[in-house]
Amino acid sequence: MTIVATPGAAGWSPMSERPPAFDLRAAFDEHGPSLLGFAVNALRDRPLAEDCVQEAFLRAWRARESFDGERGSVRTWLFAIIRRVVLDAYRARARTPQLVPQHDAPEPVTSTDPLERIGIVDGLAQLSAPHRDAVVAIHVSGLSYQEYSQLTGVPVATLRTRVFYALRALRTALDEVDPTP
Amino acid sequence: MNDLEPDRRAELIAAALSGELTPEEGAELDALRVADPSVDAEFAELSALVGGLPAVERWDDVAPSAALAARIAAIDADDADAPAPAAAPGLAAVPEPAPAPDDRADAQLPSAAPVTPIRSSRRGLRPLLLLVGAAACVAVGLGGGALLTAPRGAVEGPPGTLGAIEEVDFAGAPASVDIDGALVAHTWGTETVLTVEGLARGAAFTVVVVGEDGAEYESGTFLGSAVPIDCRLNAAVLREDVAAVAIRSLEGGQIAVAEVPSV
Repeated sequence: MTIVATPGAAGWSPMSERPPAFDLRAAFDEHGPSLLGFAVNALRDRPLAEDCVQEAFLRAWRARESFDGERGSVRTWLFAIIRRVVLDAYRARARTPQLVPQHDAPEPVTSTDPLERIGIVDGLAQLSAPHRDAVVAIHVSGLSYQEYSQLTGVPVATLRTRVFYALRALRTALDEVDPTP
Repeated sequence: MNDLEPDRRAELIAAALSGELTPEEGAELDALRVADPSVDAEFAELSALVGGLPAVERWDDVAPSAALAARIAAIDADDADAPAPAAAPGLAAVPEPAPAPDDRADAQLPSAAPVTPIRSSRRGLRPLLLLVGAAACVAVGLGGGALLTAPRGAVEGPPGTLGAIEEVDFAGAPASVDIDGALVAHTWGTETVLTVEGLARGAAFTVVVVGEDGAEYESGTFLGSAVPIDCRLNAAVLREDVAAVAIRSLEGGQIAVAEVPSV
């Protein structure tokens, strides 16, 4: 008889077992929305963003043997992959002028440094939804805390604290942005 | 040390970042800043971060479509039948993954076409933001100006000399406001050194370096205080290209400006 110890089962120890290997579908279920959020908001082009997500999972799947859960989380690994994919897609699009009907054209993204903007979007995508929503409402959309409080029903003091810790988390995420040449 | 709860500290800094401090909160934050110098440092860092957020313009919440989920699910299904699944339709084909050479998560990345990094190594994005937008300020209390007058080495020379302190005169400030300023030329930009007293406490101000071509380079932000404050702010413009330095309210109103000589 073969006994297989699994997390949560008697005999399984996180100290003695390696973290689980890369599970494609579970990873997509858990991290797909955040990765797609990053790609969509970085590129402002939903079809291209979905291509990027597919490409990122394809690269992850093909590199799954080199993934070591002890070195970092699946989420961190996937974000590092999709960051490259999105930047490649962004540059490829920038190099390829296209004539398209106006209603099909991707929305222009204005910024003095598009790569900085993509970096910030990357960081925002990694925040929890309540943290990101609060930061976007106050510092992107320009709502006052009072206005956002009226919209959400959350007290102003709570929103202020939430934004503070969200900005700290964003700062940490930007510090960890992939510097790989 | 301050006696405030951490959440109150967070709340006050968040309110200051959005310019929503009440006068009472401004006084409370002032007291906290005097007791805890880390408040100014954290405000400066977060202020620089916040300054980049409007470039995002908006955030679209999205959920993966069923079609995308099916495309992802097909990856391992395809892999069971064929070793090389197709690349996404809008993107280049995927080369073979590289082995992971070290313990960084990034190093486990599957290789692809060469890419340009978002930022150079070790720094990431935030420090670059800070390079062009940070203000390091301290409240120095009575007898302030310590940083401004502190020796910075033996470098002396005419305006534009790298590392030398070039005193500048700020004009136009209200009579109740006292500003001492200086510039320091660096290879990477221009540093503005300020000692400021008399600005409304809790109110936020920006320092902008104006280029000879009229372009404006934000150096950073600081809060007014009941005590003199020393600030060092950096702008990504060379001293030889600087025409003036302005202190403004967050709403854009000019507080004072220093015209500087051409070098």
